Amino acid sequence: MSAGAQALRGAVIAYQWTLRPFIGAHCRFHPSCSHYALEALETHGALRGAWLAGRRILRCNPWHPGGEDPVPPVGARHSQPVPKG
Amino acid sequence: MDQKRLLAAIAISIGILLSFELLNRPTREAQRAQQAAQQAAVVQQQQQASPLPLPLPSNPLGTPTDAAAAAGAPTSPAARLPVDGPRVLGTLNLRGARLDDLVLKGYHETVARDSPLVRLLAPRDGAAPYYAQWGWTAADGRTPVPGNDSDWTAEGDRLAPGKPVTLRWDNGQGQVFEIGLALDENYMVTAEQRVRNTGAEAVQVLPWARIRREHTPPTQGFYILHEGFVGVLDGRLREETYSSAKSEAAKRGGIAFEQEGPGGWAGITDKYWLTALAPVDQQARFKATYRALQEPGAKGQEERWQVDFAQPAPIVVAPGATGGGQAIRLFAGAKEVNLLDAYSNRLGIPDFDKAVDFGWFYFLTKPFFHILHFLGSILGNFGVAILVFTLVLKALFFPLANKSYRSMAKMKVLGPKMQEIRERYKEDPAKAQSEMMALYRTEKVNPASGCLPILIQIPVFFALYKVLFVTIEMRHAPFFGWIHDLSAPDPTNLFNLFGLLPFDPAHWSSYLHMPAWALIMGATMFFQQRLNPAPPDPVQAKLFQWMPLIFTFMLAGMPAGLVIYWSWNNLLSIAQQWTIQRQAGQQKPGAAAVPVAALPAGAAKPKKG
Repeated sequence: MSAGAQALRGAVIAYQWTLRPFIGAHCRFHPSCSHYALEALETHGALRGAWLAGRRILRCNPWHPGGEDPVPPVGARHSQPVPKG
Repeated sequence: MDQKRLLAAIAISIGILLSFELLNRPTREAQRAQQAAQQAAVVQQQQQASPLPLPLPSNPLGTPTDAAAAAGAPTSPAARLPVDGPRVLGTLNLRGARLDDLVLKGYHETVARDSPLVRLLAPRDGAAPYYAQWGWTAADGRTPVPGNDSDWTAEGDRLAPGKPVTLRWDNGQGQVFEIGLALDENYMVTAEQRVRNTGAEAVQVLPWARIRREHTPPTQGFYILHEGFVGVLDGRLREETYSSAKSEAAKRGGIAFEQEGPGGWAGITDKYWLTALAPVDQQARFKATYRALQEPGAKGQEERWQVDFAQPAPIVVAPGATGGGQAIRLFAGAKEVNLLDAYSNRLGIPDFDKAVDFGWFYFLTKPFFHILHFLGSILGNFGVAILVFTLVLKALFFPLANKSYRSMAKMKVLGPKMQEIRERYKEDPAKAQSEMMALYRTEKVNPASGCLPILIQIPVFFALYKVLFVTIEMRHAPFFGWIHDLSAPDPTNLFNLFGLLPFDPAHWSSYLHMPAWALIMGATMFFQQRLNPAPPDPVQAKLFQWMPLIFTFMLAGMPAGLVIYWSWNNLLSIAQQWTIQRQAGQQKPGAAAVPVAALPAGAAKPKKG
């Protein structure tokens, strides 16, 4: 894993341990956005991982049904859109 | 997952969060006590007739050159020129050409109307020296220049708006140094420095102006409030706290920060007060420097903080000519945002409002300030303005919250089905989680509002919190009941039964201070959480239960205005959630899947069902 991805993962973990208990978990997905971000950074590196995590957070709003949404595997050209419920 | 370790990690992180507040509290209070003692000492010393011998000055710019002051300290008392503006009161020290005595009219030290006025500048022979000074360095090494114990003559009997004063000092070798001072209606002094050379030879001098603080003031110790060096130089905000300046200066021979460029402004800021220098000609190049120095003083090695503006190169003054000058403004007063903005517009001082620590969210905090200020002026009470503004923000986010709270209400109806899933997959939480997600999808509900709305709301509510923390509007602003100062902690205390017992337990430990508003905040937070379903993760659920208690203690020592804001915010959330849940509760379980649009419409409808 690159230093950039490592640093970003550190930031996400720091969020999970400090800010999240305070503001509460509000994620509509499984895995949650922060876990998704950790996994995406690990498997796709800093740039694409951050891109995937950013898109996930944008999806995570009241107008999206949410649900299961795993990190796409390496090699997938586009992340699988969550089928509309 | 090893839950014990996770729990421990969370406990540690909460500990870190708490330490921001709790560990700082005793130190802060000790510092406040020390500050009060210092102020008392300053007042006492000013009442004494004979000044004490001056301590050794430093010479950061190679000036002033009166290092021998300790040996031959002048015995006659220094002459002083009154400074009398509509908003300031003080004297100018004619020995050394220093503005070292200034109090702010209209700002009292405490809420009591008869308490002393806030003192911004204080002389060197006091306990908290803080002053502005104008002078020259002899760049040619032979021209005698005025020093700290040079006695200046003044043309004019007092410095007031429309009554400028000119200070003169003749070095006896053909050069006359002049400082023309003018005061405006508020907090700005403009100083014009020049040298008249009547000698036979050209002289080389370097004019400078400085602000010097010869003690380290007590600071609030909060990360969201900057105190220390501040300035906008070459278009960039440059901030150094006392500690960062100290460590930086230790590496670079006393210089914490240095920049040469056109114009700008720089000074030293407190939470509410500022002293700053700004060249009159914002196109002219100056070298601005932040310095942190150690000097021997009455209490051993003492800290000195200095901001100075000097020309990049010495100036040659030909025989018979007048030159060697510059014009630099000095701001010494309260950081009233509208006043700073007015100075920015009128005098061209760039981004002068950044003296108030609006922070990274400037684009939110600045407009929020203006709205709060406006509401405060029409409602007549800043506390009410906070309540009204929070209500407006809540209403703006209502569509988001409404949608999520509605589905949360529907969740309760789905309760039995969820319980069934939990029972069935007791051994496999991950499987239970994904089954739950499938259920949400088929029933078209989701308990959470999502991460995006939270992410959007965080900066907004943080910005409001920050504005309340940093602006002077809260200072000594009253509220209902026992709150007479929104910027100070609520004075009531549970541990002496709100004054029934004749002692103050907070004297023994700052942890023994539990004001009424903090309790109200804790209670509202508790009830708000009760309306939410517990988080699925048991570790988080446990932590969640403790949050109201932790926050009650954390906010106990915070400014009352902030605690009132938190309480009100929680109360509004409760009201909102309760209304929606009551509406949804009238639906039958089978109707849980009806489209949202079919439910009684709220104040604002989401765009899509």
